[in-house]
Amino acid sequence: MAKRSWTQNRDAKTAKLASISSILDGKFVKTENAKELLESVINSGDRVVLEGDNQKQASFLSQTLASVDPEKVHDLHMIMSSVSRPEHLDIFETGIAKKLDFSFAGPQSTRISQMIADGTMQVGDIHTYLELYARLYVDLIPNVVLVAADKVDHDGNLYTGANTEETPVIVESAAFKDGIVIVQANEIVDKVPRVDIPGDWVDVVVPADEPYQLEPLFTRDPQNVTELQILMGMMAIRGIYEKHNVQTVNHGVGFNTAAIELLLPTYGEQLGLKGKIVPNWEVNPTPTLIPAIESGWVKTIHSFGGEVGMENYIAHRPDIFFVGKDGTMRSNRAFGQMAGQYALDMFVGSTLQIDQYGNSSTVTNGRLSGFGGAPNMGSNPTGRRHSTPAWQSLRPDDDPLGKGQKLVVQMVETFGSNKKPVFVDHLDAEEVQKEAKLANVPIMIYSEDTTHIVTEEGIAYLYKTDSMAERKAAIEAIAGVTPVGLRSDSKQLADLRARGIVALPEDLGVHRSEAKRSLLAAQNMDDLVKWSDGLYNPPAKFRSWS
Amino acid sequence: MLKDVPAELFQKVKDLTGIELTDNDKAYQDSVQIQLGILILQLFNIRQLKQRGFKPDAVAGHSLGIFAAGVASGSIDEDDAIKIVYLRSEKMQESYPTGYGMGAIVGLTRREVNTLVKKINEETQPVFTSNQNSELQTVISGSIVGINKVLDLAKSNGAQKAVLLKVPVPSHSPLMQSVADVLEKALADVLINDPNCIYLANYNGHAVRKSAGIKYDMINNLVHPVYWDTMMDVAKEMGIDTSLELQPGQTFTRLVKSKFSDFRTITMNNMNLDDIEFLLNKWKRG
Repeated sequence: MAKRSWTQNRDAKTAKLASISSILDGKFVKTENAKELLESVINSGDRVVLEGDNQKQASFLSQTLASVDPEKVHDLHMIMSSVSRPEHLDIFETGIAKKLDFSFAGPQSTRISQMIADGTMQVGDIHTYLELYARLYVDLIPNVVLVAADKVDHDGNLYTGANTEETPVIVESAAFKDGIVIVQANEIVDKVPRVDIPGDWVDVVVPADEPYQLEPLFTRDPQNVTELQILMGMMAIRGIYEKHNVQTVNHGVGFNTAAIELLLPTYGEQLGLKGKIVPNWEVNPTPTLIPAIESGWVKTIHSFGGEVGMENYIAHRPDIFFVGKDGTMRSNRAFGQMAGQYALDMFVGSTLQIDQYGNSSTVTNGRLSGFGGAPNMGSNPTGRRHSTPAWQSLRPDDDPLGKGQKLVVQMVETFGSNKKPVFVDHLDAEEVQKEAKLANVPIMIYSEDTTHIVTEEGIAYLYKTDSMAERKAAIEAIAGVTPVGLRSDSKQLADLRARGIVALPEDLGVHRSEAKRSLLAAQNMDDLVKWSDGLYNPPAKFRSWS
Repeated sequence: MLKDVPAELFQKVKDLTGIELTDNDKAYQDSVQIQLGILILQLFNIRQLKQRGFKPDAVAGHSLGIFAAGVASGSIDEDDAIKIVYLRSEKMQESYPTGYGMGAIVGLTRREVNTLVKKINEETQPVFTSNQNSELQTVISGSIVGINKVLDLAKSNGAQKAVLLKVPVPSHSPLMQSVADVLEKALADVLINDPNCIYLANYNGHAVRKSAGIKYDMINNLVHPVYWDTMMDVAKEMGIDTSLELQPGQTFTRLVKSKFSDFRTITMNNMNLDDIEFLLNKWKRG
């Protein structure tokens, strides 16, 4: 019997790199040779990770991949946490790629639905972020990864800066398993400001024709916060943050949660809560947090990614943010998601639909937006054991071995921006599962993990319910004049209020008439700049005054 | 409507179809006159834009509009577009002399409208869910009897508006199959090229880059709903952020503006060419 080789993968990688020796100078390939590079080192059928993060996009490499000859490179199995750019899907139309494993596809949700329906694309799985990252190390180990860096030195050391995001978790999965690591660089420098990824892990660097795409996705102009959102924010602060003594939090990036950020220094202060709640955050550096940071509410923030315009402010607040010696933030989405699962007292999110049982989804007809991170953040890992007051406050009294629970809060107005009810008997996601032939109904956050729902009507303390019938009644009680809400009656509501399962604003001491925009710590973008001592630099589209 | 359109285009229509176009409201009661009139107006618009050097990244036509979209994307030439539109409008006119039409429902989702249509649709009173102009603006098509029943149901189910449209034909429904059959034969000999930009198809809302998808749309779009809302979603996902509406109206600019408030829009109906050129160049510079 012939002696088995145990280095076949390594040998294959060595051969691939040898095949491009004519265009390789050290680790560097010229911009104009990028297409030849990809056609040489990517084999048809390979598993390829293309870095499309929530924010940062390896846009030069994705455009280059879309330009390769489908005769030479085809049927790739793409693995992407975020499908954002047109060419991320174009490669399926041209046959370069065939199968996709992904997490989030919000910016391409219509086309991805079409491609699944007509068979242009096969879907492996729609993952949550952590499930996708974890499988890069188990059964989705990549052959080639295509990532983006700000600066690269001559040894291939990478500086990925504030938007490091997914780069470490992607690169590591290939670098130690004979995958090929290809990096697009905004800039080649003699010395990187700091080493985010060691050059040892990098095989090929290509200078990009233009800097990678980066969008300010999480900037919310305080001007657009409504009084209804302010009312709900006040209710959440009293009825959840204060009640459960919440210390550690992640929340979403909508206007509901922007309202809470802007209410802490004003309404929270009036309630005497400063120093008592939410000192520690896992959240992107949203500009609306600036007043809460400046007034001493927020002690620490770790972030999944950066936010355009916040760089200089963050550089001057290293006591708050995770900042390198060079003065720029370091983010890491994998660690952030892990913190969401295992370190935080509470997650607060929003959604497009909630069914009568309390399941919620952002998937609506004809749009398959995927999951992203919310299902990780908005679930309760059952193996957790925490001693924090918030976790313990959800522990049942009558069971000596009972466990606490992570607070998972959904904040929604009873009707959406399209004037359609948010509370429905059945989620559109159930139909979408059938249409797209998915293994699971694309539910974002399951009822069993949802501990509270906040609407403009009140708060439902779902964790206190002890049957599905009671859970449904609690949801009906705060669902307003939606068809689900109309099933509630005054007798049922009185009973639920008496037992503390539902609280209306008056039960929480929140006066509807006080929910005014003047209560926000900042009224507009200019106020945020002032709070930041001029350190925050809003992107052009948020500058109405200049 | 056609006062700026060169006489040569009128003559072209006459040579190719024998139709003498008359530019007044009375003549436009006739659906062959109005369809050919709108087509040559749009062909003129396309020439004007071409002359100034503007090329679209994507084209989207609504029903009749797909022929101008086809010309603008280089898929079909002017003469063939005129001949096909003439045939199409004539056959449409002949297909259902009385008792058929279309209705519009505002305020219900497509799924809600589907449920109502299913309750009413039967052989004696056919009615179908048709064009999706926006998320909450759905057209129904079929027999007037069936349409009126669905409109009544829509009103009692919370629609803000449910009205019969002044359209004498059950367009964009399976009832138009006979017209599609005629168009299939006629288009068999017509050269359709691959478009030189993205073509957004009526019948399924997809981004099309090959001639086959365009040909299918030109033959069959009358049998299918116009998925306008989906076409706009796909346009945005393809990176489009600016729209330019050919004459005569501004219906589609209104639709796109209410869907994507950050879209930059131009309507040729109320802007002169110099202003259009100025704006397009300014936006291109960023």
